[in-house]
Formats: sequence, C-alpha cells, structure tokens
Amino acid sequence: MSGFTHLALPQDPVPIRVNIYVTRDIAFNLDKMFQVTRNVLGRLGCEGCHSGRVLDFRIMENFVVNAKTLEVNELPGAVRF
Amino acid sequence: MRPLGVGLIYLEELESLFRESNPALSVLELEPESFWQKTLPEGPKGRVKFIPNAGAMARIAALPQHKLVHSVGFPVGGSVTYPDHEWEPLDATIRMLGASWVSEHLSFNAIETGNALEQVGFLLPPRQTTAGVNTAVRGIRRVASQLSAPFAFETGVNYLRPGAEEIPDGEFFASIAEAADCGILLDLHNLWANERNGRQPVTGVIDTLPLDRVWEIHLAGGMTLGEYYLDAHSDTIPQPLLEIASTVIPRLPNLGAVVFEIMPGYVSHVGLDGVREQIALLNILWRLRPVQSLQVERQPVSLARDSSEASDVVEWERVLGTLAVGHRSDSLSGAADRLAKDGGVAIWRTLIDEGRDGRIARAMRFTMTLLLRHLGSASVQQLLRDYHASTFPDLFTSVEGDRFADYLRGRLTTLPSVPFLPEVLQFEHALIRAALYGARSQIEWDVDPTDLLSAIEEGGAVSPTRIPPFRMEVVPEG
Repeated sequence: MSGFTHLALPQDPVPIRVNIYVTRDIAFNLDKMFQVTRNVLGRLGCEGCHSGRVLDFRIMENFVVNAKTLEVNELPGAVRF
Repeated sequence: MRPLGVGLIYLEELESLFRESNPALSVLELEPESFWQKTLPEGPKGRVKFIPNAGAMARIAALPQHKLVHSVGFPVGGSVTYPDHEWEPLDATIRMLGASWVSEHLSFNAIETGNALEQVGFLLPPRQTTAGVNTAVRGIRRVASQLSAPFAFETGVNYLRPGAEEIPDGEFFASIAEAADCGILLDLHNLWANERNGRQPVTGVIDTLPLDRVWEIHLAGGMTLGEYYLDAHSDTIPQPLLEIASTVIPRLPNLGAVVFEIMPGYVSHVGLDGVREQIALLNILWRLRPVQSLQVERQPVSLARDSSEASDVVEWERVLGTLAVGHRSDSLSGAADRLAKDGGVAIWRTLIDEGRDGRIARAMRFTMTLLLRHLGSASVQQLLRDYHASTFPDLFTSVEGDRFADYLRGRLTTLPSVPFLPEVLQFEHALIRAALYGARSQIEWDVDPTDLLSAIEEGGAVSPTRIPPFRMEVVPEG
C-alpha cells in the first residue's frame, strides 16, 4: 500500500498480528493505537480453569458510569484487587 | 508417576516467579488454550481451527521447570465429542513442552440443541449415573488414544445438590478411573467446595478412590456467592484445606505434583510474595508423600453399550446446559424438574452471565465504556441480559465479542443515541473479525481515532477533533 501509513501490531498471548493502514497521515498516535489493539487482540483467547466469578465487567462498571454528568465515578462498594 | 514436585499454573502475571531460580518451584502447568486463538470460517462450511502462539510456547518451553499440560477446552465428562483435528494443537503443545502428563476436566461444556452444537460457557458437571460413567470412559479412552502423554481427569466441582438417582461422587470418580485405566488429578479445592455446598464429604470421596491413580493435586482458594462456596481460584489456600491435604498426601503412593491455582485477575490481590508463601506451604505438604511408589496390576474393564442410557445423558446435559445459560427448557423429564429447582443452577447462571460480560468488556473495552457512560449501568445490564437470552456463550473471548458486536449493530437504531458508538463499535469489531475470521475491514473516520479513544480511555467528555474524512483498513497478517 504505497503512500499509506502502516502500523504492524504484534500481540501476545494471542498469536494474531494485525496491520492497520490509513489513507493519509493524520498525526497518528502510535502508542495509543498499540494500546487499543493490545486491549482487544491480546485478550481474545480462552479463559482459564475455574468455577468462580469473572468480574471484568463489574470493575469497568464501577469505575466508569455517570450517564447524566459524564463524570467518571468510583462507585461505593467497588471491587478491589 | 514420576515425582516432579510443587508447581503453579502458568500465568504471564507469574512469569517472574518461574524465572527466579527458586528450587521450591519445580513444576509449570500450562492451560494451553489461553495461548490459542480460535478461528472460524465466514460461511456455514469449513471448520473451527485453533492457532497456538508458537512464540509464547517456545518461551514457556525454555523455562526450567518440569511441564504439565492442563487442558480447559475439551472436557471428557460429556456426550459431545470433538473432531479429531481439534486435538492436534493440544498434542503439539504436549510434545513441544515435553509434558509428563496431560489432564482434562470430567465435565461438559457443550450441548446439542436441534441440529446445532452450542457452547454453554462453563464447565458443568457430568450425568452421575452408570450411563454417565460409560459416557465419560468412552470419551477418555478416545482422547487418551490421541495424545502423546499419559492422561488424567480432574475431579470436578459440582454446585448441584446430590440427586437420589446419582452415584456418590467418590464412587463415580473411582468407576471412571478404573474403567478408563487413567490417572486422577485430585482437585482438593473442588472436593472441599462440593462438601461445603452439601455434597459428599472429602474424606468419603478419598476413601473410595483408587489412590494409586492420583498423580496430581490441585489446591486453591475461593469465595462465596450467596450461600455457595465457589471454586473461584481467587485467594490463598484456606487453612482447613491445608489440613485436609496433609492427611491425604501421605496416602498417595504415586503422587507426581502438587499445584497451586489462581486466576490472573486475583494475582494482585494475593501478591507475588503471597504466591511464594503458597509455594513454601505446598513444599511442606509435598514432603509428606510416601517414600515408595506403588504399582497395581489390573484387568481391563469392558463397557456395555446401551442407546437408551446414552440418550438420558444427552437429555440431562441439554436441560442443565439450557437452564444454566438462562434459556427456556421445554423438557418435561423428572431431571428437568429437579434441576429447575436446584439453587446451583442459579449460581451457574450468574457465573456464566458474568463470564460472558467479562469477555465482552475485555474484547470491546471502548464500546462498553461508551455505553456505560452514556446509557448508565441499568440500561447496559438490560442490553446484556437481552443478548444472553438470544445467544449461546463461547469460552473464547473473540467469539463472544463477535456475537455481541453483531447483536449491538442490530440494536443501534433502537438504542438511545450514543456519540461515536457506530465508529468505535466498527473499529473494535474489525480487530476481532481480523483475529476470528481472518477478515479485512474498512472503516471511515471523520474524527481522529486516537483523539476519540484517548478521550474514552481518560474518562473525559468525548469531543474529538473533526478532520477531513479518511479511510482505515484493518488487515490480518498472513
């Protein structure tokens, strides 16, 4: 893709590599794009052995939401690790 | 089995412990599917494939500990059998690591619904009858014949109340081990959880097992949910369980390893020093094992085929699986009535739903953050409940993410407006589709995506800079 900006994004532990091409230079923030893709692609594997709780959504929920003010809140009773 | 010592389940979070030349840590047990990507054909034809991370496997193989493989994706307690080719990457891992033995769960994780085979998103307990014994034995024999290391099954957790028609836990495990002529991975935390939740006491199970077949012990910590104690792998080993282990281990003449299990999300809670303390405790237990091993000669056990018994197993799995994922079961059988009233089914429903939501949160972090910030928790939870009711789960995060992305795309026109949701959803789905299907995707942007994603990540108001439109192409490599 000559003339395109190209980012190669290696991932671990999941063995999928993804390239991102953009049609022009938009002052791309490489670190941010690596972080985003790592957040997605690096976690696409199988869950491990357990018969207990998976709290990723609850943790996200506890740190994100205020639908009216759009403020980030830490809700009372947030799960701590 | 050859005595290897004390070990940990391998996690990237624990990598430093495996590298610090601690002579007390001599076993690394790998759950290989955590380092695989599932791939699917885009159309109805073609087959599921699993691609291992060769780089990660080479890195793990080079670590100094003895290796064991603990599979989590192909349980051997149910009627569903996986195609032979799906075992190939597991066997490749066994060979690459030089694993001393391989283990799987005496559970099921998929059911037949009509003409389809659906995942239930969790390891559920097998039908604990004579037919269930026969089903498991056939499954173990088939799997063991395809793997290049000796095979052991794990004694599973079971949140159901014991049924009148069921074989007691210990007798069930013993019958399977003898008929399948395989090893036992004695998960004492599972048995302790079973006892705390009203099933057979650990001592009763131990007294029934052929103890010379126990090659490995698993120990862990758990947590409660309502009145149930969960095998959550969320904490250090409780003192009463350590005391039970200290009475059991001297009775195990062929014990090869004692392994501590913890989930990645709880490592920071326990801390690396806390894990080191667990290793030290397990070494004290390890030294209690008998000095001499024991070999017992046995005659092969044959199984009688009975199609009506087999259909009972299939039906029981279908009812339990359907109820556990929160779908309606139309079965009128006695087992269905009992299962519908069992509090353990509600526990699994909660755990399966939380697992699905967790996978979606990991696969679609920015999409979910946007939804939560703009719709609020109650609306997003309702959206997820609607999604659960309309689809089956999958243990692979990529598949769950892909299903939810498809579902959410279909709901975009009926949901309240969420700024930039279509763009963020499309981008994250493109990454998932690249991994899952090997698919290329094009995305049109008229805002700076890094600006937008930074704003979501940092929790500020989402007002990215408008820029002239441009096109992004997401392309899987290879």
